[in-house]
Amino acid sequence: MLVKLTAAIAVLVGTLVLAACGGDGGGLESGSGDTDTSDIPTAQGGEPSGELTISNWPLYIDKQTIPNFEQETGVETQYIEDINDNTEFFGKLRPQLSQGESGGRSIIIPTDWMAAKMYDLGYVQNLDKSAIPNVEENLIPSLQSPSFDPNRDYSVPWQSGMTGIIVRKDLAPDITSINDLFDPKYKGKVTMLSEMRDTVPLVMKADGVDPAEATDQDWLDAIDKIEQAAASGQVRDFTGNDYADDLTRGDVVAAIGWSGDAVQLQADNPNIEWRMPDEGCMLWTDNMEIPIGAPNTPAALAFMNYVYDPEVAADITEYVQYVSPVAGVKEILTKRDPKLANNQLIFPDEEFTADCTIQVSPEDEEGVTEAFETVLQG
Amino acid sequence: MSTVRRRLIPYGLLTPGLLWLILFFVVPMYFMARIALYEGSSTTGYEFAWNFSNFSDALSENDTQFVRSFYYSGVATVIALLIAYPLAYAIAFRGGKYKNLLLFAVVAPFFTTYLIRTLAWQTILSDESFIVNALQTIGLVADDGRVLDTSGSVIAGLTYNFLPFMILPIYASLERLDTSLIEAAKDLYSSATTAFRKVTLPLTGPGIVAGVLLTFIPASGDYINAEFLGSQNQAMIGNVIQSKYLVVTDYPAAAALSFVLLAIILILVVLYIRFAGSEALMGEEAEKA
Repeated sequence: MLVKLTAAIAVLVGTLVLAACGGDGGGLESGSGDTDTSDIPTAQGGEPSGELTISNWPLYIDKQTIPNFEQETGVETQYIEDINDNTEFFGKLRPQLSQGESGGRSIIIPTDWMAAKMYDLGYVQNLDKSAIPNVEENLIPSLQSPSFDPNRDYSVPWQSGMTGIIVRKDLAPDITSINDLFDPKYKGKVTMLSEMRDTVPLVMKADGVDPAEATDQDWLDAIDKIEQAAASGQVRDFTGNDYADDLTRGDVVAAIGWSGDAVQLQADNPNIEWRMPDEGCMLWTDNMEIPIGAPNTPAALAFMNYVYDPEVAADITEYVQYVSPVAGVKEILTKRDPKLANNQLIFPDEEFTADCTIQVSPEDEEGVTEAFETVLQG
Repeated sequence: MSTVRRRLIPYGLLTPGLLWLILFFVVPMYFMARIALYEGSSTTGYEFAWNFSNFSDALSENDTQFVRSFYYSGVATVIALLIAYPLAYAIAFRGGKYKNLLLFAVVAPFFTTYLIRTLAWQTILSDESFIVNALQTIGLVADDGRVLDTSGSVIAGLTYNFLPFMILPIYASLERLDTSLIEAAKDLYSSATTAFRKVTLPLTGPGIVAGVLLTFIPASGDYINAEFLGSQNQAMIGNVIQSKYLVVTDYPAAAALSFVLLAIILILVVLYIRFAGSEALMGEEAEKA
């Protein structure tokens, strides 16, 4: 028996030694930074046909848009909800992208900072603008020139939203600021998001630091504060969309969360409410992109164009209840459902979001991410 | 001709299994080992560099999670054994015509996926649930205390999820037990307890050892239970590996961690088998050999 175990250990050690003898580790070596973005291909438009695969976040489209699109264009569409977390999705897709393949996907929908990061790595194509006239025509002005893609060359907004506090009105009526989440009264009843770029800047804002100007040290200081709250048990857990269950059950009375989720949850439980933190919220947009190696780019561009038809966009907004990037949606919804059209979380005016900050990344992205991940692992 | 063929038959029988192992165990292990020796960062890219410090870093930076993992899986294994043995005993010797039904009940949870079963526990153990309220009433949980997102809930989840792996081997060894041996012990004036201690327990040793290994090894590397039933303060080593691979995209650290986990489990298993005796694992075959 012992002989066999010794042999097993020998095999283990042998594997390590063998590892020196060449071969490539699944394309990990080629993940180098600043790729020259001038030789990035442009996804060409044309007559849509064939098959199309779209990767999106869960519960992020109504039930009719895909069938309608299929009927109108004859494109057979595979719509998969496999994005739960930007970094995790990127981690899964990266080995393929670094080989110039998209795993069959023609549209992916990452958040601003990840959309930019993927382009900088050379993983995303430019878009043939002649194939998406609706986007040119209907994209709302405030989203036309973000700092990472001033001409919208490679990204087209899908939906936008706000990150703030979701509370149970009945159980935590007095929480109005991020600092209230650190109140010992709510020990073990509070969750934060595992998305670093949502949670950390909000805590920074609560301490009077502007995330847009923050240094790495500011990020680390805020992470320190979060770490103490996590270790003491003040913060119960770090979550993705799954805070929804905790709030519904009442295990959690206040969570850092996304505006559209709160509107959807409110329909089932009127005690759930999204609140604009006293210090302001975080603003973000998820963007449609065409990855390199994407099959059937004409169909992908046709889809982007299709969802920028205000009538179609209104269907989507009615269901997902996030902020639509398409002009004219409010007018259509005013006729269909005036209550929805007047909801500040779906059609926020400038005054409402005055203190909000657009999501940013820290300078030393890797170091800060690692520090934050350490907090998530206790 | 026939002797040649007879000599070749064992190799022929081995081939499918061997190919399977080479393709899905040795080859991935090779790549993992290679990645574990890389150097670099996710922004600059990784390069092969005999970077053995990945291993020592993996151990020293995550010692808390390692200790926690083995503590959780150790406790879960002991609890599973304490639940499984009497249960298997009852099914094997007192099951009567319900034996198959009871066995089916043990296996039935597998008809639902692991993930769904663990998510169901979130509801079972939530703060306002019947079980937690009952525990609060009898004073086992403080009035403002909770069960979900504590060490207790993670250990309970691990125990529950791996319990069938403990029950089935023990049941199989009890089922095979020749009851006339127990009768012989009693004929020789042994009490029921002594007969159990000197006859039943040693003869079911292989089942116990197999059950302990089948529970302890996967439980040590598990991350689902800590992910859904625990919080940041219950993260196990599996959660760290998952985060290093998919979130931080520090592949070398993740690969090195996996190897360190493998090595520690191997050492613990060797120690356990030395202690429990190899005959117990291999049964009569080892004694013959």
